[in-house]
Amino acid sequence: MAEQPVDVLIIGAGASGAAVAWSLAETRMRVVCLEQGGWMKAEDYPGTREDWELAQIRDWSPSPNVRERREDYPVNDSASPIAASMFSAVGGSTILYAAHFPRFHPSDFRTRTLDGVGDDWPLDYAQLTPWYNLNSRMMGVSGLTGDPAYPADPPKEFPLPPIPLGRLGETLARGFNELGWHWWPSDSAIASQDYEGRAGCINAGTCLLGCPHGAKASTDVTYWPIAIRRGVELRTHCRVREITVGPDGLADGAIYYDAAGVEQRVRAHVVILACNGIGTPRLLLNSRSSHFPDGLANRSGLVGKNLMFHPYAIITGVFEEPLLGYQGPTGCSLMSHEFYETDAARGFVRGYSFEMLRGFGPVSTALYGLVGGRVLPGPGHQEAFAQLVDRTAGIAAICEDLPEPTNHVTLDPELTDDDGIPAPKVTYRLSENSQRMLDHAVARGQELMAAAGARDTMVQSPLMLAGWHLMGTARMGRDPATSVVNEWGRAHDVKNLFIVDGSVFVTAGAVNPTNTIQALALHVADSIKRNLATLLD
Amino acid sequence: MTDAPLPAPLTADQLRALAPVLDGFIPRSADGTLPGAGELGIAADLDAALRRIPGMHAMVVAALAELDRLAVRRGAARFTALAPDEQQAALGELSSTEHAFPPMLMLYTFGCFYKHPRILAHYGLPTRPPHPEGFRVAPSDLSLLDPVRARGPIYRRV
Repeated sequence: MAEQPVDVLIIGAGASGAAVAWSLAETRMRVVCLEQGGWMKAEDYPGTREDWELAQIRDWSPSPNVRERREDYPVNDSASPIAASMFSAVGGSTILYAAHFPRFHPSDFRTRTLDGVGDDWPLDYAQLTPWYNLNSRMMGVSGLTGDPAYPADPPKEFPLPPIPLGRLGETLARGFNELGWHWWPSDSAIASQDYEGRAGCINAGTCLLGCPHGAKASTDVTYWPIAIRRGVELRTHCRVREITVGPDGLADGAIYYDAAGVEQRVRAHVVILACNGIGTPRLLLNSRSSHFPDGLANRSGLVGKNLMFHPYAIITGVFEEPLLGYQGPTGCSLMSHEFYETDAARGFVRGYSFEMLRGFGPVSTALYGLVGGRVLPGPGHQEAFAQLVDRTAGIAAICEDLPEPTNHVTLDPELTDDDGIPAPKVTYRLSENSQRMLDHAVARGQELMAAAGARDTMVQSPLMLAGWHLMGTARMGRDPATSVVNEWGRAHDVKNLFIVDGSVFVTAGAVNPTNTIQALALHVADSIKRNLATLLD
Repeated sequence: MTDAPLPAPLTADQLRALAPVLDGFIPRSADGTLPGAGELGIAADLDAALRRIPGMHAMVVAALAELDRLAVRRGAARFTALAPDEQQAALGELSSTEHAFPPMLMLYTFGCFYKHPRILAHYGLPTRPPHPEGFRVAPSDLSLLDPVRARGPIYRRV
């Protein structure tokens, strides 16, 4: 007998899928989530092994093309200087993220009005603030109130005190102070103390390879356990091929392959996409029908367009003294928003943030030294390594990318995943504005390192394996001709289809997007609940 | 993380043949206090890591076989039977052929060398995995924020 339609079908169990599932659980609707990956096991994370740093070269690379897990799908990113990074599992890319968790600024939602670039969002910072604060409690965010880079009212709420700066962080903080630049302890989705059944961080420094301790807020340890207890059904190892459409032009479910590779069908009254800024346009473009010959919800032609990454530069200072940089969360110590807002004198519009990185472990020191031409093979190798080991401090410049239709996601004509589903192809070029911003950030980063006492710096710009932040490919807006979804995530063309991942971003901001992605997902879920009675009218 | 069957491990002779290759990547330190990568005896550890990447392991096996062929041309039974200077000459010859060692071998050599307890201890780094013990980090000196607070708001009003 055919399965009865579920009320809500969520595709993707990562940052946004978890948040929307948790929020909708209280409605007592039947909510089913399909996730192409599985549950991660803490004991499988490499941080418990002696070869933990070696694991990042391949099996735990951020690139699905390098990892080649069964759960991954390939991404043709040969036409992009920035490689796509993502992870497929319950928790999605939060499994491997650094958990650096700042919010967007008020100006990020008004770039057209303020600076004449990008577009204004159909909502603003104040509207998202309650959802940021709710997300802060759900994820267990550590931070310090009073950051002068944000409005004091409404305040940013943190349930936990900030992650310790460490010797390395305090060294750079003195450098910022020397220059008179803004800095602040990071907003971190890492529990600095025990929180809601999760153990506090032990400063092991393996965040980018999964957290065996459970202190890092990946959604498999935050939203999902609660959502499941409240009745949400999560089906793992289920890879969706397409969203199906009924004769009325509404989404009516999905076809997917289960863990055995057997084709399955699930029918649904409402479908929510949470597959990230590459996976969502891929799925929409793979969902062609007589109603939507160019892909589902794509009458605007904007599905897949306006892909935004955050171009990254890494500036690494080399110091004389040991910094104990391997102790503490990899990407969470301090941040600076000194260069966040537009200053025309800099030669570019919009801006960037700095996120401090802890130092490298010994293997990473050798590999980074190799890439930077400082630790080469052959005679002198060991002497060169000794100059760097535990003497480096890094800072990442996260540059705001502007939306450009020529940067886009399409379907690759040949490449497929293991189930034969066409894979995404990324076409992306770095804009002149972004390049100028990167150059400015590198110069300021070197200035900072000198002020902090570094004797030398190394630079990577742009960082190639840095496509963590995937945004803009199904943008939000009020006009169906210039956007894919409305201000509460509903597709203009399909009123029972919603998108909650980074695809809906109108602009990129200059900070890590996960907090904003989840705040938006909570906002969309709340809108669905408030409009439930008339949702399909 | 693929489920492909693992290739056979390198033989004892192949591991011996690998040692001078690894020493080429990471030679003994100038002051003699630290061994080279081959001298440290990481070849078996390296082999274990490479076997999980069958394609690359096969390239290493092919390169080692080519070294033996080059040794035979030099009148030896195998590469490990050559004198050290002749081994270096054979390695130099190999590097310009289609059977040269894959570049990834060097990355994995770095990886295995710099996780070895002897090397870590030399640099005063922990010889255990980061988990489950972790590290104790001193509380922050938040008085460093005084000048940041004194400056006042910097966000853009909209």
